[in-house]
Amino acid sequence: MSLGTLPAPANSQLASAPAPGRAVTWLAIRQIRRGGLLVAGLSAGMTALVAATYAQVMADPAAAGSLQALAGNPAIRTLFGAPVGLDTAGGFTVWRVGTVIAILLGVWSILATTRITRGEEDAGRWDLLLSGRLRAPAVLLRHLAPVMAVAAATATAVTAVLLLSGTAPTGAVLHGAGIGLLGMFSVAVAALTAQVFPARSPATGTAVAVLCLGLLARMIGDGVTALGWLHWLSPFGLLSLSGPYVHNRVLPLLLLAAATALITVLTLTAARRRDVHDGLIPAAAGRRPRTRLLASVETFAVRRVTRPLTGWMIGIGAYYLLIGLTAVSVTDFLRDNPALAGDASQAGFEGLGSIAGFTATLFAILAMPVGGFVTARMTAFLADETDRRLTQLTSQPITRIRLIGAEIAVTAVAAAVLVTGAGLATWLGITAIGGELAVDAALSGTWNVLPIVLLSLGTAVFAIGWTPRWTGLLGGLPTTGGFLLLVIADSVAAPDWVRDISPFAHLAPVPLTEASMTASSVMLAVATVLTIVGVAGYRRRDLRS
Amino acid sequence: MTVPALRAVDLTKRYGHLTALDTLNLDVPAGEVFGFLGPNGAGKSTTIRLLLGLARPTAGRAEVFGVDAADVASAHQRLAYVPADVALWPQLTGAEILHLQARTGPGTDLAYREELVDRFALDPSKPARTYSTGNRQKVALIAAFATRAPLLVLDEPTSGLDPLMEREFRTAVRQARDRGQTVFLSSHQLAEVEAVCDRVAILRAGRLVDVSTIEDLRGLHRSDVTITYAGMAPDLSGIPGVEAIESAGERRLRFTLTGEPAPALRALAAVEVTALTMREPSLEEIFLDYYGTEATR
Ligand SMILES: Nc1ncnc2c1ncn2[C@@H]1O[C@H](COP(=O)(O)OP(=O)(O)OP(=O)(O)O)[C@@H](O)[C@H]1O
Ligand SMILES: [Mg+2]
Repeated sequence: MSLGTLPAPANSQLASAPAPGRAVTWLAIRQIRRGGLLVAGLSAGMTALVAATYAQVMADPAAAGSLQALAGNPAIRTLFGAPVGLDTAGGFTVWRVGTVIAILLGVWSILATTRITRGEEDAGRWDLLLSGRLRAPAVLLRHLAPVMAVAAATATAVTAVLLLSGTAPTGAVLHGAGIGLLGMFSVAVAALTAQVFPARSPATGTAVAVLCLGLLARMIGDGVTALGWLHWLSPFGLLSLSGPYVHNRVLPLLLLAAATALITVLTLTAARRRDVHDGLIPAAAGRRPRTRLLASVETFAVRRVTRPLTGWMIGIGAYYLLIGLTAVSVTDFLRDNPALAGDASQAGFEGLGSIAGFTATLFAILAMPVGGFVTARMTAFLADETDRRLTQLTSQPITRIRLIGAEIAVTAVAAAVLVTGAGLATWLGITAIGGELAVDAALSGTWNVLPIVLLSLGTAVFAIGWTPRWTGLLGGLPTTGGFLLLVIADSVAAPDWVRDISPFAHLAPVPLTEASMTASSVMLAVATVLTIVGVAGYRRRDLRS
Repeated sequence: MTVPALRAVDLTKRYGHLTALDTLNLDVPAGEVFGFLGPNGAGKSTTIRLLLGLARPTAGRAEVFGVDAADVASAHQRLAYVPADVALWPQLTGAEILHLQARTGPGTDLAYREELVDRFALDPSKPARTYSTGNRQKVALIAAFATRAPLLVLDEPTSGLDPLMEREFRTAVRQARDRGQTVFLSSHQLAEVEAVCDRVAILRAGRLVDVSTIEDLRGLHRSDVTITYAGMAPDLSGIPGVEAIESAGERRLRFTLTGEPAPALRALAAVEVTALTMREPSLEEIFLDYYGTEATR
């Protein structure tokens, strides 16, 4: 691990270093730098890629005009953001990846912030820090600054890439600044919820919910002209109001900066007023025991998954309901503008002309959030081991196979619940708006991604058995990594075998076509082998506690 | 012959170049309260993790009542464990954790558990995240003492307990022994070890230094002897076991005595000794002897 090359641990520095503050900042940096580099690199990379493909997409002179027509369709606006300024490489890039990068940076910022503040405090590791010379608000600020610096670095990288691609400087700076501010806003919100709640998961959940609500408000504001003012209430809305390369307005970004500053000040005030380990909302003082699902390892695994599953289901369900509700409008529009359907396929959305094709495209993306869910669950299982909570169970007459087997089975079932829910939500949305999609077609479409999700679960289990440190990264490899590989391979016209490494290259567009039995079977077989090898590794290794 | 509660045969654990435990051979007979002592980093927790199958030995093997430690489904039917650093599921209350432990464990005496909750003054309705270090330890101790497992493995179980709770702990250990349970207790609290343990093992730098009863440990060690005499001074030079002879004032002599006292007593009988005091070494002094000579890791 890269930590090996570092100087002595921070707490030993604390004791002797003349500047305890700097040691705390360094401690915070060490906890986030790997993820921070990854986020900044991905953001810059995606921006560079799309900016570079602009010329290719626009090779057809008719294309620019018809893409412009997209701006009139409320459904397109709802799903992908208002497509303005598509006639420039900069504007096109902002539309294609701006929101994705903003979400990526926002979510990472929240996770990193609650992890290194409330998470560390929960684990008792802040007791040592706070017993030193620094007061709580100072320690907190020194943890927020590095995460905000990652947002600033991402902003700088994105701006630099856009400038190097030869786009207009004002737009480049404005877009970069907008993304950076959204990251900082997310940090501030997460820091505040970490003061309010006495535990990490409600703090993270609330901050993510705030971000999702902001996205939803922007989507509605984009889709329904009368509700356009909702933009002013949403960080994502403020970004689109700033209109890089088109309107180039500074005021919305100033507003976002002011909101961020205000929330940060509130956070520091809250930190001063509360006790270590407490939140502004006190922890429940006591309650009657709820012993349901506490009878065995298996039921306890079910109990631990219920809450996260509910949260993920609400998020994924809401998104696919929205897709269902807009599907008819989008496909009608694309059918009426055949030139556009062709462009859209070049721009990365294939077969959008029919409901079956449109949903098939969006169902493929489902593999990523559900893959994220299974990876998050297996990472949580590993955290239970490293944080020694699992010792309570590993010292019982319970074999390790049974312990991890229960976790794997419950996670797989939860993933099945998620894809089923997504299918039903899509079907519900389409049916409600009067479109045609059979419920079994919707379900076969979402179930079709389950093999990729199980591949993610398999790699995560393999990592737990053999390289626990890399569980998060390896677990995300088949889904997020595979998807990015496909997009990048397509964009740079890489040789087929590179493209074929990605599981998404073998995913049939269900319900547009039948599922590919061969592809699904191969993926399931690989997933099974990975799982078995991983469990074997887990059985024989030392527990990390 | 009955099987020992715990057995280590050439048990070795290496972490890279560091040998945390070096060919440990140890039998703990059933029914004993066995103390496990050693300075920080001596390898006590490592031994316990090997005995529990939480870590795999580099060489050698460990057995619990004759069952291989790696076969946890069977070996853990016979034991309960309190780790050195108790971490609980933060979202569960104390009562819920005790319930989970009882349902997944080797069988629990629920009435005795209620009594222990009372005696240790634990409020089991609170979520575990609000528990202090001592309260977390109490939850683990109550869960372990309430089982009817024939072996209790306790790794520094009282480091966070106040003196009142420490007393309850000692009572609980004695009751466990009276019920026939074996207790394997790793500890730094020498007074506690002295109060409850039948035998102790001393580990230093991964090696077993000694296993014996506390009385024997004392016997093996130096006692401080001071005598007052009338007339001629006794000649103690060359007497086996007598060392560090020094004058302690007018007609007073101090020396240390190791091992059998008979030769020294014979030498003293030759003169007129008017007073004699003998001070046994405290356990602390014995351990400083053991620990101090080689720097800990
Ligand atoms: N997972 C591990 N990886 C590397 N070294 C380890 C690991 N676990 C323990 N050690 C090392 O093994 C040695 C023995 O550690 P152990 O925890 O058994 O000591 P201990 O006797 O329990 O000490 P204490 O009284 O402080 O609890 C130490 O030097 C420790 O650093
Ligand atoms: Mg220890």
